[in-house]
Amino acid sequence: MFPLQHFLYLSALLFSIGLIIIITKRNAIMILLGIELMLNASNLNLVAFNQLNPSTLDGQFFSLFVIIVAVCEAAVGLSLVLRVYHEHKTSIPDELNNLKD
Amino acid sequence: MVEVQSHQSTTVELFLLVALLLPLLSFFISFSISEKYSWVVPFITTLLLLTSVVSSVYVFFSVWKHEPVVVQLHWFTIGNFKFNVGILVNNLSAIMLIVVTGISFLVHLYSSGYMAADTSIRRYFAMLGFFTFSMLGIVVADNLLLIFIFWELVGFSSYMLIGHWKEKIEASAAASKAFLINRIGDAGFLIGLMIVWANQSSFNLIELTNTTEILSWQTSASLCIFCGVIGKSAQFPLLNWLPDAMEGPTPVSALIHAATMVAAGVFLLARIHFMFTPPALDVVIIVGGITAFMGALGALVQHDIKKILAYSTTSQLGLMVMAVGVGAPEAAILHLFTHAFFKAGLFLAAGSIIHSLHQAQHKTHDHFDVQDVRNLGGLRKKLPFTFIIFILCGSALAGLPFFTGFLSKDAILTAIQQWIGSEFSWKWFMLAIAFIVSFITVLYTLRMIWSVFMGEEKRTSTLPIAEPPLVMRIPLAILGFASLWFVVCSNPFDYSGWLYSGLHAGKYFHSSFMPIVSAVWVVLALVVGYILRKKSIQSSLLLHNFYLDRIYNALMVKPTLHLTSFTNYLDKKWIDGFIHSTVYTQVILAHFTNWFDRVIIDGSVDGVAGLAKGVGSVTRSFQNGKIQLYLFWAIFSIIIFLIWLII
Repeated sequence: MFPLQHFLYLSALLFSIGLIIIITKRNAIMILLGIELMLNASNLNLVAFNQLNPSTLDGQFFSLFVIIVAVCEAAVGLSLVLRVYHEHKTSIPDELNNLKD
Repeated sequence: MVEVQSHQSTTVELFLLVALLLPLLSFFISFSISEKYSWVVPFITTLLLLTSVVSSVYVFFSVWKHEPVVVQLHWFTIGNFKFNVGILVNNLSAIMLIVVTGISFLVHLYSSGYMAADTSIRRYFAMLGFFTFSMLGIVVADNLLLIFIFWELVGFSSYMLIGHWKEKIEASAAASKAFLINRIGDAGFLIGLMIVWANQSSFNLIELTNTTEILSWQTSASLCIFCGVIGKSAQFPLLNWLPDAMEGPTPVSALIHAATMVAAGVFLLARIHFMFTPPALDVVIIVGGITAFMGALGALVQHDIKKILAYSTTSQLGLMVMAVGVGAPEAAILHLFTHAFFKAGLFLAAGSIIHSLHQAQHKTHDHFDVQDVRNLGGLRKKLPFTFIIFILCGSALAGLPFFTGFLSKDAILTAIQQWIGSEFSWKWFMLAIAFIVSFITVLYTLRMIWSVFMGEEKRTSTLPIAEPPLVMRIPLAILGFASLWFVVCSNPFDYSGWLYSGLHAGKYFHSSFMPIVSAVWVVLALVVGYILRKKSIQSSLLLHNFYLDRIYNALMVKPTLHLTSFTNYLDKKWIDGFIHSTVYTQVILAHFTNWFDRVIIDGSVDGVAGLAKGVGSVTRSFQNGKIQLYLFWAIFSIIIFLIWLII
């Protein structure tokens, strides 16, 4: 059995990669991808911490729940991106500055 | 608040108002008639004046030797003090009413012939009416303030009438001169009024008469009012305007500058005679004596026929003022009455000579100065009617027996002779002056008549001269008739006829000696005048009236001009300089405050604003609309927070 720390390291690595993708990538779709990565890192944490209480499967079920929410979120996010692209012929958030003074 | 005594007196008041207001109505009518119908103006105004004369005659017969008519109206109230104005018509006013309306009517009638060709005939008749109204106002007013107001109106209408031919430069200059010199006298009059008010708090003549005891302020007050008389009646030293005033139309000279306006001063003296104290009366008689003497000498050497008459008027007014000065205002008024008629007659006769010669000149285009007696002579054949009038009125002026002038001059001489007393003093000089003046009067009258009517014709021999029209001859005839003795009394050697007894309340003194002396004196003067008739006196000093104009020019006008140029210099140099320096100081100060405002005050405000702006732009840069940057900063701050938490 792998010790808990390894999962946590991997999860922290994934989270950090997701965060860096969100901050650095210009395209909205890539930002959504980063968000997925970060969600997956948190799922990994949930599953890993479940081994402290093996009699229940709380962590696994909770991560399943997160995956479903993430799917919904990805669907909403992508449709928003599609809609924005349709309106403004771009999917880069920095260029959507119509409300700026 | 009209005090009505009885039915009788209300009728008198009504007629008095009619007599007073018709000339004013004539003034308004003359101005309101259009230029096209200006030929009706003489008719209407003359008719109005005739009505006024009739009313005056009615008033005269109601008042003469009866109770005076007194009407008082409330004018205004100051605090508790009520100021009343009104009318006081006693014997003196009644006789003046007759003189003013009568002469004014005759002058209106005469002017309708004399001024027929004039283009501004409406203005002329309007001002004649206005003058008559103002003069009547002086005569009937019961109040010194009211008298002063009308006094000024008279001066104004005199100004308008002297300057009637305003296109003549001499006429407008003479009008201004007359007005300004009258102003000098009127300033004294006004001060006198103030003194009276300060001491008595009343201008009412009746109330003032009731203060019988002689008070010290009365001397100064009466002398100040006498200043007004000096101006209006052309007395020394303000007599130089009257000869110049002859630039006006001749009927105006007859009405204003011989019969009425200049006599207003004498009338006022008689009206307020009770106010004059003995020292003031001494001043009055000395001024009158000097004027009489200067005027007589002036009349002796003048060449202009109207100026001879003007100087003669001055001289006769001097005699009247002397009579008031010796305490015989009734003698002065008697002379005023007779003088008004014969001097108006002389002026109108002179006017008819001028008129006839102008008409003749107009036909022949031969132009010379018709007023200069040196150009005239031998006119008795061509103008016999005017000649007769001249003889009648001139005899009255010279004081020949059987003429009115003899009687009134006799009254004045008697009054002066009574006044001098038995002991020899300076007063004897006044009697001597009166006699010398009456002597010179004969001389200049004879000289004037002789040079105009006797001898050979000079410049006029070729002119087709005709007598003036009937409207001008009727007034002349009336005035010539009024120069005969029976107009004032029945006895040609005793002046105390109906007129004198009406004016003089107490017993009068009459010496049978004085008429004889006077008659002999006049005959002597006639003889001397006949001998000297061809001689003419060449005296530049007298011709220019003792250089009074030049003296005033040198003493008053020039220093005033120098003073004005000096004050002008002061103004320019010092006052303007001071103002300029303060202005420059202010401008410099303003520049400094501007700089202070801009740099310090605006700077501090701008600095605060700039600081806020800087801070704002720094904080604003965090919120530049880039989502990822927001995220970066959020995570960055969380990391900082975590580091702080761990440490």
